[in-house]
Order: sequence, then C-alpha cells, then structure tokens
Amino acid sequence: MPGDRKVRILVGTRKGTYVVEGDPKRVKWRVGPVAHAGSEIYHVVADPRHPGELYAAVNNGFWGPMVQRSRNWGKTWKEIATPLTPGGKDRKPAFNEENPSVPVQRPLANLWHIEPGPNDAPDTLYLGADPHLLFRTSDRGASWEPVESINEHPSRKDWSPGAGGPCLHTILLDPRDSQRIYVGMSAVGTFRTDDGGRTWTPKNKGVMAPFLPNKYPETGQCVHHVAIDSRDPDTFYRQDHGGMYVSHNRMDSWTRIGKPLGDDFGFGVASPPSDPGRAYFVRLDGMARVTGEGHFQVHEWNDSRRAWRTLVSPKAFPGHFGVQREGIATDNLDPAGIYVGTTTGQLFMSPDAGRNWRQLPFQLPGIHSVSVASPEAG
Amino acid sequence: MLDVHLDSWLREFGPRRKEKLEADSVEHLLDALEQQYPRLRFKIRDETGSLRRYVRVFVDGEDVSGTTGVMTSLSGARTVDILHSIAGG
Repeated sequence: MPGDRKVRILVGTRKGTYVVEGDPKRVKWRVGPVAHAGSEIYHVVADPRHPGELYAAVNNGFWGPMVQRSRNWGKTWKEIATPLTPGGKDRKPAFNEENPSVPVQRPLANLWHIEPGPNDAPDTLYLGADPHLLFRTSDRGASWEPVESINEHPSRKDWSPGAGGPCLHTILLDPRDSQRIYVGMSAVGTFRTDDGGRTWTPKNKGVMAPFLPNKYPETGQCVHHVAIDSRDPDTFYRQDHGGMYVSHNRMDSWTRIGKPLGDDFGFGVASPPSDPGRAYFVRLDGMARVTGEGHFQVHEWNDSRRAWRTLVSPKAFPGHFGVQREGIATDNLDPAGIYVGTTTGQLFMSPDAGRNWRQLPFQLPGIHSVSVASPEAG
Repeated sequence: MLDVHLDSWLREFGPRRKEKLEADSVEHLLDALEQQYPRLRFKIRDETGSLRRYVRVFVDGEDVSGTTGVMTSLSGARTVDILHSIAGG
C-alpha cells in the first residue's frame, strides 16, 4: 500500500485499466487490480506527491469522458470532477437555429493526458483533452479551470486535428521552474509558457510538416509525443509525424535525429530518469503504423554520442506491432526499466535498460498508455 | 406523473428503480433527474445539452433521440425509457 516497494505498471487499454504489479527487482509480475470495464483508458498516472493516488482518463463510449481517482493503487476508483468545455458550465443548450439537432458548441470529447503538477503545488494537476484543451485543477480534481491563454491562443484559428482528433496530449513541466510548462497538440505542435501559463509561444522551429504546403510553419506540425531529459530539462526528445527530433534549448529549435534510421515515423518516446541523455523510440512503418521490420524493436538514442542503437534481438518477438503515443514508459530505477504496450495487447518489458527483454505472459486488450509508479516515486 | 426507467448501466449513476417524476419536456425531465442524481450530469447529455451519441430516449415507446430529442414534449406522456443504444458488432 502507500509507500510499499512494488513497481506498478499502469496500463490504459481499450477495455479498462490494468495495474501490473512487480517486485523491486522487476522479475516477478502479476496482473493486479482491473477497473473501468469497457471504457477506453487513454492515460493512467500515479501522483508521486501522494503515494497510492492514481488518476485515470476514462473515455466511455456511452456516457462520455470522466476523470477517476484511486487512493489505494487502483483497488477502488471514484469519479471526480470532469472538466467542461469553456462556456459549458451554465449548461444551456446552444443549438443551431436552422437545424435544432446540431449543437453549436463542440462538447468535450476524449481526455488524453493527466499530469501531476509541481512539488510546490501538491494539489495542482493538469489535464489535456479533445478538442485542443488544457485544464488545471488546484484542488486535486474537485474542480477544473480551462487554461484560456492556450485554449484561446491567437493561432487557434489555424489548428487542425490529427488522425486521433484535435487532442492536447502532451504536458511537460520544468522541474526547476514551475512557471515553465510545455504542451503538445495534434496537428498543431508544441508550445511553451515561461510565466505560469499567462502567455504561450509556439516552439516548432526546424520541425517539418510534410503534409502542408509550407513545410516549416510556425504551427501545424503533428507532434506525437515529447519526453524531457531528466538531467538537463532544457533537452527534449520528440516523436513527430515528420520524424524524430531533439532540442537542447527548451524547444526554441529542433534538430532531426531520425534520418539514419530511414523511416523515422512513430508515436511514443520516453527518457529514463536513471540514465539521462538517452531516449527510447519505437519506430513504425509510416504507412502501416506497425513495426515495419517484422519484429518488435526499440531504438535507443544516445544524445552525447549522437548515435543510435537497437535494443531488441530481431528474433525475440516476431510480428507487426503498433505502439501509441503513450505506449512506452520507463521507471526511475537503476538500471532503467523500459515498458512498451502494443495496440494488440502485448506488454514488453526490460528490467536492465534494454539488455534483456520479456513479454508479460498475459494478453491485455489493445493498449493506449503505459506509465510506471516506481517505489521511489511513491 | 411519468414512469421513468433507466437501463441497468445507467443505474450506476442514477436511480436503481423506476422513478416517478413530473416534467413537460425531455429536457426538463433530465434537469430534474440530474438535480436528484448529480452523477447523471453529462452522462446522458453532454455539456452542450444534446443527447450523447449512444443514448436513446423513448417516450411512450417511441424513440425520440434522433428527432425532437431533448425538446420533445411530455404533455400527456406516461413513460420515458432512457437506454444505451447498441454499439459495436
């Protein structure tokens, strides 16, 4: 229970939430609590500031999106407040006058990502949602406020959806400065605020948008996911529709690193706290959206050597696997554990920074997201 | 008085048995239900006030979800069934 020594893989699937529990050596694993039967879970995350607390972005096909919280590592869950689209509080139907069955206002669709806030604000969390919305709570989810400065950014008129919809899916906090926050949206790109969310600036310089007439616009890139480096929070690793990138200057500019891999398409990226300067990507075939080589593979980027390395034996896991934007995560142990969930429900894991790999001997539903609650993180 | 019946999946958020309520429209019926059972808010309707895609409302056995929807008059009606629709294979 709170403060115990288990490593927990928090898995959001197409059919519910699964907590996979392991020992600190990450040798023995068992599927623990299962919840939210039938709902699409886009993200589950532990709040390291409150051991035992988990938050889930629950998207139910019938009853809509809900935020749920557990205070006992997933054994029981309770629905807490769900954010509303700006203007939705009064709950007055706003229908198109010519066609009364068509609402004017677009309702909140899927919830994509929940990010615990900084340590100096232990009751603050951020939430990213469709359609292109960021919310903040200052009371641990009892109420949510839209962050209007980004939601109503002047560039919003140019924002377009990605294939997964108009989603705000990435939220990153600078661990040194709680005023600096980064968000990523599809197909919009990344933004940074240096003043706690009062103003936001697009940060996509150098990232190609191959699907637009202007290949290097200020916004319009389809960022898929971004990971922050734990040693140097000015460094970011980005998996974009247009390839794999790194930034060493708080996203002021980006450099493409994926070209040596050929097709550098993919969705997920993670960087391990115990091994800074490295990032893990799962390269996918840009057309088929599955591992194109015919087997499961993870590519490691070593930022100091500026070199790539493959981590998985091509013979280990043959097949074509899809991995979504939240589908890869690391723990904060040393050596780093790496965890990858696939769209067909396999959960691959390495307890030693990629040297050895195994597959959880339990078939899960298609996996949207993987995150890890390590003992040190609560 | 209207006999209001919610399907078993919705009973997680609302009344477990048939409810007797008075309302002159589906919109006002849902308002009353949500007042009594706050967890029903945004489950049947989204925050724009329209019925969710996979919710069906039957007034005296007639599906009004895709026609008059929440604006349906309940004048003279006796039963309202709120169900989830078939979705999937």
